Amino acid sequence: MIDVTSLLVAGIEFGSLPQQLLNGILIGGVYALIALGYTMVYGVLRLINFAHGEVYMLGAYTALFVSWIIYGRAQDPVTVVWYALPLMLLSAMTVCALIGIVLERFAYRPMRNQPRIASLITAIGLSLLLQYGGQLFLPVSPAPNISGKVNPYRDNLTFYLTQPAPSLVRAADALKPEMDKAKAALDEQLKLEKDEFNLSDTGLALRKEFFERQSAYNKAQGEAQSSAISITLPKGQLIMFTVTLILMAILRHIVLFTKSGRAMRAVSHDFDSAALMGINVNKIVTLTFVLGSALAGAGAMMSATFISGVKIDTFFGLLPGVKAFVAAVLGGIGNIPGAVLGGILMGVAESLVVWAGYDQYKDAVAFLILIVVLLFKPSGLLGSNKVEKV
Amino acid sequence: MKPLLSMKGATIRFGGLVAVKEVTFDIRPGDLFGLIGPNGAGKTTCFNLITGMYQVSSGEILFGEDCINGARKLPPNKICELGIARTFQNIRLFGALSALENVVIGGFLRSRSSLFSALTLMPPAIKDTRALEAKAMEYLKVMDLEEDAHTRARDLPYGKQRRLEIARAMATNPKLILLDEPAAGMNPQESEQLSRTVRRIRDDYGKTVLLIEHDMRFVMNLCERIVVLDHGEEIAFGGPDDIRNNPKVIEAYLGEPV
Amino acid sequence: MRFWGVRLASIAGGIGLAVLIHWIALSQLSAFGVRLVVLAGLYVTLAVSLNLINGITGQFSIGHAAFYQVGAYAAGLFTVKVFSSQPLTFMLWVPVAMIVGAVVASAAGLLVGLPSLRLRGDYLAIVTLGFGEIIRILSQNLKVVGAASGMAIEPKMLSQSPMVWLCWLLAIGSIALCRNLLQTAHGLSFLAVREDEIASSAMGINVTRTKVAAFVLGSALAGAAGGFYAHYEGFLIPTQFGMEVSFIILTMVVLGGSGSITGSVIAAVALSALPELLRNIKTIPLATVIGLTIGVIAAVSLGRRWSEQLHGPVRDRVLKLSGLTGLCLGGGYLLGLGLRALPALSEATTDGNRIRMVIFAGTLVLLMLVRPQGVLGHREFGLGKWLREPAR
Ligand SMILES: Nc1ncnc2c1ncn2[C@@H]1O[C@H](COP(=O)(O)OP(=O)(O)O)[C@@H](O)[C@H]1O
Ligand SMILES: [Mg+2]
Repeated sequence: MIDVTSLLVAGIEFGSLPQQLLNGILIGGVYALIALGYTMVYGVLRLINFAHGEVYMLGAYTALFVSWIIYGRAQDPVTVVWYALPLMLLSAMTVCALIGIVLERFAYRPMRNQPRIASLITAIGLSLLLQYGGQLFLPVSPAPNISGKVNPYRDNLTFYLTQPAPSLVRAADALKPEMDKAKAALDEQLKLEKDEFNLSDTGLALRKEFFERQSAYNKAQGEAQSSAISITLPKGQLIMFTVTLILMAILRHIVLFTKSGRAMRAVSHDFDSAALMGINVNKIVTLTFVLGSALAGAGAMMSATFISGVKIDTFFGLLPGVKAFVAAVLGGIGNIPGAVLGGILMGVAESLVVWAGYDQYKDAVAFLILIVVLLFKPSGLLGSNKVEKV
Repeated sequence: MKPLLSMKGATIRFGGLVAVKEVTFDIRPGDLFGLIGPNGAGKTTCFNLITGMYQVSSGEILFGEDCINGARKLPPNKICELGIARTFQNIRLFGALSALENVVIGGFLRSRSSLFSALTLMPPAIKDTRALEAKAMEYLKVMDLEEDAHTRARDLPYGKQRRLEIARAMATNPKLILLDEPAAGMNPQESEQLSRTVRRIRDDYGKTVLLIEHDMRFVMNLCERIVVLDHGEEIAFGGPDDIRNNPKVIEAYLGEPV
Repeated sequence: MRFWGVRLASIAGGIGLAVLIHWIALSQLSAFGVRLVVLAGLYVTLAVSLNLINGITGQFSIGHAAFYQVGAYAAGLFTVKVFSSQPLTFMLWVPVAMIVGAVVASAAGLLVGLPSLRLRGDYLAIVTLGFGEIIRILSQNLKVVGAASGMAIEPKMLSQSPMVWLCWLLAIGSIALCRNLLQTAHGLSFLAVREDEIASSAMGINVTRTKVAAFVLGSALAGAAGGFYAHYEGFLIPTQFGMEVSFIILTMVVLGGSGSITGSVIAAVALSALPELLRNIKTIPLATVIGLTIGVIAAVSLGRRWSEQLHGPVRDRVLKLSGLTGLCLGGGYLLGLGLRALPALSEATTDGNRIRMVIFAGTLVLLMLVRPQGVLGHREFGLGKWLREPAR
């Protein structure tokens, strides 16, 4: 009999597990920020706001434009100013909040008395309209990105959970003198050579030797490194996660301890009764869109700035949006802590798939999770099992 | 006589609220049975338990010999197949379809023709559909709706919608029919008329009837046996006269001792 | 006896219509025109089959292209692997391959439908969207189907004589199936599920089974269309079946009026040509696009206000409203000309290919704002009425 686990585990390095888990949690924070918007809107209106992912996309563009205003279009800003990041964050949040208000006021509110399916179609239509209509007006090709230099926190923190195996370290160190010697010899020879790009036979031989020794050393060094379990944490992402936590704390405060927050919970419990009790439902719905969209804007700015090399286009929000929706369902749609939990779990699940070596299927895992959740616990992890009133 | 339906300590909780608590009664075949109680007493919830819309938290409900909610929890469509049909307090017709189509759908569960024969419009499907339409017309006549057969259900006036729901329930050919506030929103004449129709359903068609109603005259004139619920609990059981004079019932309705 | 007479006559009529379309297309039209006719046939099948799920049974599926794709890949792979070792001629073979596509697609429909159709409507939307993504990712990575670089289907239809009749036979067959269904009590049970699931289950209808049946049947028809497409194009790549295609099909169904078969057919024929025609328009001034967009928005918002106050005969109202629309569009066009004076917009152009999805999306949103029930609502149009007569 074939041992299936051994087949699956072949090619997996357990040493990189902590790193991948951490990556998952960090990206999960962004999913959680987006998921909050879905869950809150679903809570008050029972509407899947398909256009939420596009609000996120527009947040990323806003951050991009603000960085261009501050630095010009130069890919590598010469000096980095301290107010750039906060300004990008705030403007992304503000613009997204405004977009949220406009969408709600002009597209969703007229639909409120129509069958649910009509609002759902409107939401899908808006999402497409922003994706494809955006292409006409926003820079898409070549896909721009926010220069990595905007972020002054580019270096990494590295933590060693275990030290590299001493024997391997010694083996690597033993190779170093020889490499240095070859390098010195090569340098000597280079001084004698007339044309650096057209070496004599001796020069070629020395260079070949140096390269061989160098790759042997690098290999040994790499082996030594990977025998240690370490985590590398880009400082920027640490900041991203911290800001995420702060925003969530603010949201929690608003929802739990302010008058509007209480009204929001009332509306999400029972829309019609809340209206009858004198709550200004329209105001609360608007507030919900403002909060949800602003969080998406923050998530967009941070993921476009701190994760190196992300390209922005009008489909920037499509996959994160759908995944965040699945995260909201996973946590229990309509449930705010559930969205956070679902987002983090989604991020971790994805990075586990990457870790297991199936990174081309990374984007599919969200939907598998969705189907499994729907099969076994449709109300989500933290959602309550409500019986529909007949 | 063996009971047709027995509630045996049926209980359901919604979070902290016990909407129906240990309700126990038997309905015999041929009964005209009333279920009354103040608003929020748990009457509609009882209907939902009997028809499998909700599942009991404890206790069980038997239909004839079969357990339909309890140890075995049947889905609503299976319960309807066994012979229990209902109407809804907040009318649930198929709004975009005509009155006739609504009643045809009621009869559909007894149809034996296959989906394949429907897709290919084979004789069995056509025959079935024709037979159901004829039967539906008959039920519409009983409920005095034959003129509205081709009107969209959502365009009918309220009283007619209520009657259409009864016709639709009748079309499933049930043994037991549950009516949830059938006279709500009707004027005295309509209500009088309905009362006669309900009696006909029992006398001419041999259906057992369980009904919820707030109109006391309607219930007291029509029902032979009555159960009273209050706050999910059964507080009285008996004939109309027993109920009328029961101090607990008067207290439940008026909120103070007599 | 009379029944079978009528039946045979209508089958012959259907086949005759398909052959007629084939003959007209091949004898009268250019290669591009023939392509439009074929695509129209495929989109009619797709729209009618989605309408069965979406409009008739009320289940909001937005990933229909996935089943089209599954059918195409299954049929294509089947041909690649099996055709050379069997005796059928190609003309007889294609229908067999289409059946294979239909069967595999309906199995996929069952797989997706069973977990999600037990639940409330909105989830299905996301699950079908997600299923589409899973299929896309799989098809981009699986070596057997050529991964991202695609798969050639050998043999394929000759480009000078494609089997137009076959794809229209499928379309007509799909229309006939749905129409037949709606003639019977069985079909009413599908409509009942759309109208009210709780009442349906209380009336003894097995709601889940009805939904799954609609879903599987709809997927099968889409799969058969895919099977045809595979042999018509002769080459399959994942990008042919993106979310875009799903949304185009959805727009057709919504535009035609959910539940209206004739509506779906008309919308499918009209909209299937649009992307292909737009593809050939190379430069459109961006200023004109903006101007017309503003015109449309003005027409819609003014029209909404106005139509509530308008009274009188339908014809008058329609005339007044179309006058308003014309005025707004004309104004928008003029505005576009004016906008070209702006330096930022004077040079900017776009092409038809890029605005086609914008048009679809805009249609969806505006339609919902103006007439959520679709152009035809639940009603059948002219010919449709005639089609409905016999059974009632
Ligand atoms: N699905 C449900 N979830 C929560 N509470 C419910 C549900 N259905 C009924 N209830 C509660 O059960 C109680 C009884 O309701 P009901 O049976 O409708 O009363 P009535 O006797 O007026 O028909 C009410 O307090 C109602 O709010
Ligand atoms: Mg009630």
